[in-house]
Amino acid sequence: LNAAPRRPPRQHVRFLPVPSGGDGGTTGLVATRVPVLADHPLVRGPQFRRLKIGAGHRLDVKASGVFVLGMGHGNKLLTDLYNCHLTKVYTVGGLFGKATDDFSDTGKLVEKTTFDHITREKLERILAVIQGTNHKALLMYSNIDMKTQEAYELAVKGLIRPMGKSPPIITAIRCLQFTLPEFQLEIHCLHETQQYLRKMVHEIGLELKSSAVCTQVRRIRDGVFTLEDALLRTQWNLQSVQKAMWDCQLKVKAELEKTLG
Amino acid sequence: PEAAEMWRALRGARRPAAATALRRDLGRAAGPRSVRQLREAEEAAPVFQYAGKAAKRKDRVFVWGFCYSGALGVPSFVKPDAGWKKPRRIQPTPYRLETEEKISSAACGYGFTLLSSNTTDITKVWGMGLNKDSQLGFQRSRRDRTKGYEYVLEPSPIPLPLEKPQQTRVLQVSCGRAHSLILTDSEGVFTMGNNSYGQCGRKVVEDETYSESHLIHQLKEFDSRVVQVVCGQDHSLFRTKKGTVYACGWGADGQTGLGHYNITSVPTKLHGDIAGVNIIQVSSYGDCCLAVSDEGDVFGWGNSEYLQLASVTETTQVNVPRHLPFKIGKIKEAACGGTGNVVLTEEGNVFVWGYGILGKGPNLIETAVPEMIPPSLFGWSDFNPDVRVAHVRCGLSQFAALTNRGELFVWGKNLRGCLGTGRMEDQYFPWRVTVPGEVVDVACGVDHMVSMAKSFT
Repeated sequence: LNAAPRRPPRQHVRFLPVPSGGDGGTTGLVATRVPVLADHPLVRGPQFRRLKIGAGHRLDVKASGVFVLGMGHGNKLLTDLYNCHLTKVYTVGGLFGKATDDFSDTGKLVEKTTFDHITREKLERILAVIQGTNHKALLMYSNIDMKTQEAYELAVKGLIRPMGKSPPIITAIRCLQFTLPEFQLEIHCLHETQQYLRKMVHEIGLELKSSAVCTQVRRIRDGVFTLEDALLRTQWNLQSVQKAMWDCQLKVKAELEKTLG
Repeated sequence: PEAAEMWRALRGARRPAAATALRRDLGRAAGPRSVRQLREAEEAAPVFQYAGKAAKRKDRVFVWGFCYSGALGVPSFVKPDAGWKKPRRIQPTPYRLETEEKISSAACGYGFTLLSSNTTDITKVWGMGLNKDSQLGFQRSRRDRTKGYEYVLEPSPIPLPLEKPQQTRVLQVSCGRAHSLILTDSEGVFTMGNNSYGQCGRKVVEDETYSESHLIHQLKEFDSRVVQVVCGQDHSLFRTKKGTVYACGWGADGQTGLGHYNITSVPTKLHGDIAGVNIIQVSSYGDCCLAVSDEGDVFGWGNSEYLQLASVTETTQVNVPRHLPFKIGKIKEAACGGTGNVVLTEEGNVFVWGYGILGKGPNLIETAVPEMIPPSLFGWSDFNPDVRVAHVRCGLSQFAALTNRGELFVWGKNLRGCLGTGRMEDQYFPWRVTVPGEVVDVACGVDHMVSMAKSFT
């Protein structure tokens, strides 16, 4: 950024003495435009010393995926996006047969169990129940009076969701892959933390009368930002960042208008 | 593959002697363990087995609602075991009821419940709740052998006068206001309880005392085997294998459908629009009745004060079955409540009409034409497009729907906590009831409900 060509320095008019000949005659003053010395690069120094970067929803050390950052004035948009309470989508990988203290496969082993009695059908039944109870929690924490007609209409359209503080809620969950002992789930959630998702994998293991640990948590969508908009480690250069910011401007504006009005 | 081989080797390993492992750990010097040591310790750890491959799902019964009548079958709700505890008036969420056998059919009456199992053991039917009209048979009191209990607080066996008690199976039970019907596979229908209007199918005896009565009447004279029995408030309906419907009991609202408004004390065949039609399901709970034919048509008769039959007639009492010409598709199942009715079509859509809280928000109070409840309220969405409603049931002023995923949705008036949502307010649109199991069937009563579920794993 600092290597990019700068704004040309300001010019002002100064009356400078004309360099005359050898003999000291009349020293005339000529009006000349000279650049302001205060704008000289050696005086000003580098143009950018600090950048204000804010982070969107948290992503902890053991997880990976889409992580939204705001730069400069974009930080104000970050708070607006937070108030939209949009869902995030994760792919969570799990492994049956083990239980650890921090619910991930790198933790201290607590117990090992058998898992050959688990079938995909049983897992899907548990997932259906999780979805059902979380749907109920979604309606309850949205703080709308259930006795009104507008609550009924919003419930029909599926637009009820908590627009304030609430415990983590899973709006949709389904099984993508199931090959014993591994399985992979796709989870759509609100107000969650990655440790909550790991705990959810552990609880699914307990419900199936076995145990499970979480091997992978990957965020594939955060509101309007998907994996296609995300920049890889090799793309962390100025041009890609600028292009990414330009591409998602329209999407963010549209979403904010739709949700916050 | 290495890990998979390790799991296969340890499969089914029961808990080995932990003593050797413990001694090994105590003998080892404390300190940071290397990755290899951790991995070896992990591989040597014992594997526990909580469920084998042949683990079966268990059958459970859940009850909720008003407790004082004893209809929930949990004695500690009415008479707590500790002196300082207060009796529980309402059970707002599903409570598990322990039963000795697998319950195949349940029915809720007005303050009492019947549970039945299709076993060949001697005890096939259990009853609990109000017994002032002997609707649960004669329950001999333990304190005084000549008297019977007026309130039965826990599921007590009902002795039936069967000819072959170890061969006959009880298929279905049904309860009305003060009478009950028990359907068996080879010995007809047994009726007990109040008979002031002939609803038990026997002649009305003047000034008969129904409490502490030993009388259980058996009905066998039908044109073919009875496959479904339904109790309305003070009348009884019988559906036979041939598709005919018989009725007996009170008829002042025309609910017997026999063409008059008098009492009938012998089950008589119904004609009208259902003559010659193969009926596959009948339903009633209050004073209105609905029947579904095999071609998907619905017929109704009885009370129509709440616009239940207003689509065909203006009269408020209809005493002959009338075809209800609704253009909503082929109908699979129907259920009648006190003031509202609900039907389920072949596509899995739910339609309601009548009066009261119908399930489409507080603005819809009454309608004579069926209105559809949007499937998104039952859990259908783009994410789950296969969710369908499988059964519908009606209580006196509440409705229940079961989806194919085993979820139970209720809506209607929350009389004394009968909805089971955990709240005391009325519910104006379908709301999930959290039952710890996959719900297979539900029976709705006036102020309580019973559901049969299977555990998840």
